[in-house]
Amino acid sequence: MSGAIIDVCGRQVHILDSGSGDPLLYFHGFADVHSVKDSWLPFHEKLAARARLIAPAHPGCAQTDENKDIDTIEDVIFHYLEVLDALKLARFDLIGTCVGGWIAAELAVRHPEKIRKLVLIGAAGLFVPGALIGDVFMMAQPEFGYSYASLREMLFSSANAANALEMFPDGKGELEDEVRRYQMLRFTSRIGFKPPYFYHYALRSRLHRISSPTQIIWGETDKFVPCSHGEAYAKLISNAEIKIIGGAGHSVQLEKTDETAQSVLDFLAG
Amino acid sequence: MKPVQLFCWHFMAYPYLDNDFDKKESSGWVTVPNRLWDNNRSRGLYQEYIDQLVYADQLGFDGMVLNEHHQNIYGLMPSPNLIAAALTQNTSRGKIVILGNLLPLHLNPMRVAEEYAMLDQMSNGRLIAGLAPGGGPETFNYDIPSANTREKFWEAADLIVRSWTEDGPFAHEGRYFPLRYVNLWPKPLQKPFPPVWIPGSRSPSTMTEVAKRGYCYFLSSRSHGGETHRAQQEFAAVLEKHGDRYHPFRFGILMSTYVAETDQQAREECEEGVWYFLKNCLKGHLRREGRQLTYGPGVPYIPAAAWREYLKGYKPGRKLLGDVENWEELDASQSIIVGSAETVTRRIQNLIEKAKVGNLLIQFQLGNMPDPLARKSMKLFAEQVAPALRHASLKQFREEYADFNIESSSAEALH
Repeated sequence: MSGAIIDVCGRQVHILDSGSGDPLLYFHGFADVHSVKDSWLPFHEKLAARARLIAPAHPGCAQTDENKDIDTIEDVIFHYLEVLDALKLARFDLIGTCVGGWIAAELAVRHPEKIRKLVLIGAAGLFVPGALIGDVFMMAQPEFGYSYASLREMLFSSANAANALEMFPDGKGELEDEVRRYQMLRFTSRIGFKPPYFYHYALRSRLHRISSPTQIIWGETDKFVPCSHGEAYAKLISNAEIKIIGGAGHSVQLEKTDETAQSVLDFLAG
Repeated sequence: MKPVQLFCWHFMAYPYLDNDFDKKESSGWVTVPNRLWDNNRSRGLYQEYIDQLVYADQLGFDGMVLNEHHQNIYGLMPSPNLIAAALTQNTSRGKIVILGNLLPLHLNPMRVAEEYAMLDQMSNGRLIAGLAPGGGPETFNYDIPSANTREKFWEAADLIVRSWTEDGPFAHEGRYFPLRYVNLWPKPLQKPFPPVWIPGSRSPSTMTEVAKRGYCYFLSSRSHGGETHRAQQEFAAVLEKHGDRYHPFRFGILMSTYVAETDQQAREECEEGVWYFLKNCLKGHLRREGRQLTYGPGVPYIPAAAWREYLKGYKPGRKLLGDVENWEELDASQSIIVGSAETVTRRIQNLIEKAKVGNLLIQFQLGNMPDPLARKSMKLFAEQVAPALRHASLKQFREEYADFNIESSSAEALH
């Protein structure tokens, strides 16, 4: 196991923490650290070269204890307030991808004073009429008993992209990687399986509270959280810029690693 | 001691699909397009199916079995309680087994307690109350968040039984279903309460919860190779661990059969219905073709540690029942037992001997099997198979459970 385990109010939380400099808190999504791999992916290494990157695994993911009292996004936010206390993080940069982006946005509307700069990548969390967030759970049921092509198709620009095949292989991958993917589905099923599906209707009217400079990054052909969600975030957060990256789907940080990392680093440094 | 109990199970499949259904549609469940429903042809379908169950009662079956499914062609009973209500008016003898109402689909489990109590009164105490958590397809139909499903299920099940047995009003202080005023009107007729059956697929945790409460365990598998025998042994071991003892009426299985005058005739008559059932009704459920919704990472209701254990033995792309390619393969699965009365008797008797099972829940009408064939098979079974099974099983159970006073055992006391 890489990373460390910290105690948060009697619960175990698994954290990857490396690099030095200003703290950059990272909330992971599906095709991401903790959800598919035990260690940093190239995207994270680029960030950790310039900041202290801190990525806790969500409750029930990697070695973080499951918390069966998590029913709503509110419960997830409270968990992270306790994590922040344990880490003694008062003010920090925050980056969230996918479901982690939703968590980041919800944390930001509650505690804008804690966040220096905010980055949302392919973030769930909003209700956008006519642009439903995809059903990742049905796509996670294999076709023909072994094929995860439609899950890859949802999370990447193409089901046959090399990194998609590496992260979500057909059949049975390495056992612990399979368990990690399962853990992430199990955690997210608590907040996204039943309606509202990976969104919180009230979030839209709360985004005005975010005061930090915000960068929204989206893969142009995102099939899990459509690009219009990124546009909605950019419109509703007062100090936000949006960067849409061509040739990428939902997992833009994996599909266009250099471009995405550079964009984030420039934004944080600026 | 009593002989094996023989129940007639009807799934009420949608029987009017075209021959190219399997080629054109990716699933028979959840997303199967309902433009395929044909009102002209389906007029009278429910009556036909209900009448087959009434016929089972007249033929002397020990009961009739119904279950709950949604948005699929496999079983047209979103509300089995409606069919059960009809049966209370048309039958007088056999048990009415509902296996079961899907508790997570109800905002308040008292609705199930109430309807079951009504059915027990309306049927003069003939209800067997199945309580089930539902499978993957229902998870998608009804947006059941799956991580806490099991815990929620048992809270609901316990509340239902408490409402049947404890005088109200009382307050229920539960994690999922807190209720200030639990006060059931009507109460069920059977005392202390109707028999409770719980389906499971060999998960040790379900067996344990069933054992703790003294209920009957129903194995929901459709294949009966060595697995059935193993499930029986596992459940017996769990019962012993909880200071209880196994007997055949703590256990039930689902099987399908078709009986005709000769082996050859049986196969010829049922083959169309059987393949319709396997290829259409099981698509999306027990077939790897298309997208199987019943079990998998998208319905993550078991803890990660249990998933890891499951994965160790999991073979991706393995064949499921509906993937059998020919009759011989199907025959070997022992899922659907087809033949003359003599053949069927021998094979089922063999199953009872090995699995020591006292409740056989038998599906006769398969897929699009026409009414006259289903009835003929039921009649031959009742007249030429059932007597021999009853005779042999009574002898077997008396020998194997000689020191067992079945009438006073925990499960039997419920009857």
